[in-house]
Amino acid sequence: MAANGNANYYDLYRHGSLGSTLTDALDDLIGAERMDPQLAMKVLMQFDRVITEALNEKVKARLTFKGSLDTYRFCDEVWTFLIKNVTFKMDGGQSVVTADKVKIVSCSAKRSDEK
Amino acid sequence: MSNNTVGTVYEHIINEVINAVRVDFEENGVDDSVLEELKKGWQHKLSQLNVAQFPWDPKPEAPPPAQAQQNTSAAANAQAAAAQQQQTANYTQSTLSPQTAARPLSMPGGQPNGNGVAIKNEPGLVNEPAIKQEPGTMQPMMHPAYPGNNAARGGMAAQRAAQAIASRYGSQAQASINAIHQQTQQPQNPGQAPQQQQQLTPQQQYQQNVAAQMQQQRMAQQPGQQQQPSNQQNGLGGAQVDGPSDGFDGVLMRRDADGNPVEMGRVEIDNLLHAKLLERAKEREGGGLMLPLKEATKSRGIASNKRSRAAARGAGANQLDGNDEDDDEFDEDAINSDLDDPEDERDDDDEEDEASGWIMLCLYDKVQRVKNKWKCTLKDGVLTVNGKEYVFHKANGEYEW
Repeated sequence: MAANGNANYYDLYRHGSLGSTLTDALDDLIGAERMDPQLAMKVLMQFDRVITEALNEKVKARLTFKGSLDTYRFCDEVWTFLIKNVTFKMDGGQSVVTADKVKIVSCSAKRSDEK
Repeated sequence: MSNNTVGTVYEHIINEVINAVRVDFEENGVDDSVLEELKKGWQHKLSQLNVAQFPWDPKPEAPPPAQAQQNTSAAANAQAAAAQQQQTANYTQSTLSPQTAARPLSMPGGQPNGNGVAIKNEPGLVNEPAIKQEPGTMQPMMHPAYPGNNAARGGMAAQRAAQAIASRYGSQAQASINAIHQQTQQPQNPGQAPQQQQQLTPQQQYQQNVAAQMQQQRMAQQPGQQQQPSNQQNGLGGAQVDGPSDGFDGVLMRRDADGNPVEMGRVEIDNLLHAKLLERAKEREGGGLMLPLKEATKSRGIASNKRSRAAARGAGANQLDGNDEDDDEFDEDAINSDLDDPEDERDDDDEEDEASGWIMLCLYDKVQRVKNKWKCTLKDGVLTVNGKEYVFHKANGEYEW
């Protein structure tokens, strides 16, 4: 979950739905020999940058959540939590979502700000 | 924060990414249509996940949470218009410049074109300079830089005429050929001879040069010709331009089965390099992004070994070894990939967690703990829960261990 070599963007979001679908789509094109893997890497690097910026600038939503922490791990500046019986409150408590468990993977915000 | 904003945010991200990599696609000679296809494929796969309402989804398909529908329909229209524009632009580009359209076709097979592209991406690759130094291919490329003059065209025509005569009548026509040469070459300095070819494409130049030189040699073989010295002098510039028809000297040595050094000719070296390039191209096709880690590391290991070996070949050419070493290195790779296995398993576990669909990817500002109570401040996150996605700018969490 380290930042990219030449830019300070995490490739963490590649594991989300947006990132995984992008890699799938890229993989299809590579498999069909329409593009080469190096170009696909560039696309993913751009994706890292764009999604980080977009989440920072375009999204204003806030969220609070409560639950019981099952496991926690802090390794290489990455926090990983497994929380059970979680309750998410959004829109200032207007909508509530509950889940049996959720895994949180979180990189340090500081490193990505050092641009 | 709600599920509704996800569609527009994701659309923004997709468009940004597609626009950002457009330059890279052009630089790699990949057609715009591939980029469009990437975008379509991306959106399609995202829709299939059904994690949110996306602007590009066709309306009837959408299960109607009415609010989301209203929010996104305007965006959907804009999107459709944009897509149309995109296609028009695409169409014009591919019709106006068929070359761009043709390029990706030649890539996949690992043809020279594709290899050229691949080489540029690898600054560390030693093969590149080796190829560039090929006198036969490199020299003619430099000609277009020379300033043109009209005399050059006359010279070129004369050379062609002389060539035609020579081929038809052979040595009987020497006198007239020489006459032509004298006519055209006298007004020029020997150093300007290369300018004669300035209007030609590199291949034509190359042929022309070879032909010219052969002709010079033929003339030189005629004893007693008065023009001989002047011809040689005049032709000097031209003769220097083309290396290829000279008897070549080997630049690489390698050892044969008995350990005796064998000089490699240029053609052999070319073939060797070409074979290596093809090999690498094939590796790269397979060494893609989404391979299992085991396979990816294996092919990467081979590639890096190849690279270091290529470096050795470029620098200390004499020390090239036979096939035995290759086998050894391959074995090392096998061991490496075995070592990587435990990591694979761990990754698989992670993926299973993600597959179950409850995951939050985000950045942390602060993580605090007092006894068994944890508090954390998170930001810029994507949350997937109960099959839906949410994005947030800031999140506060409190939980007990």
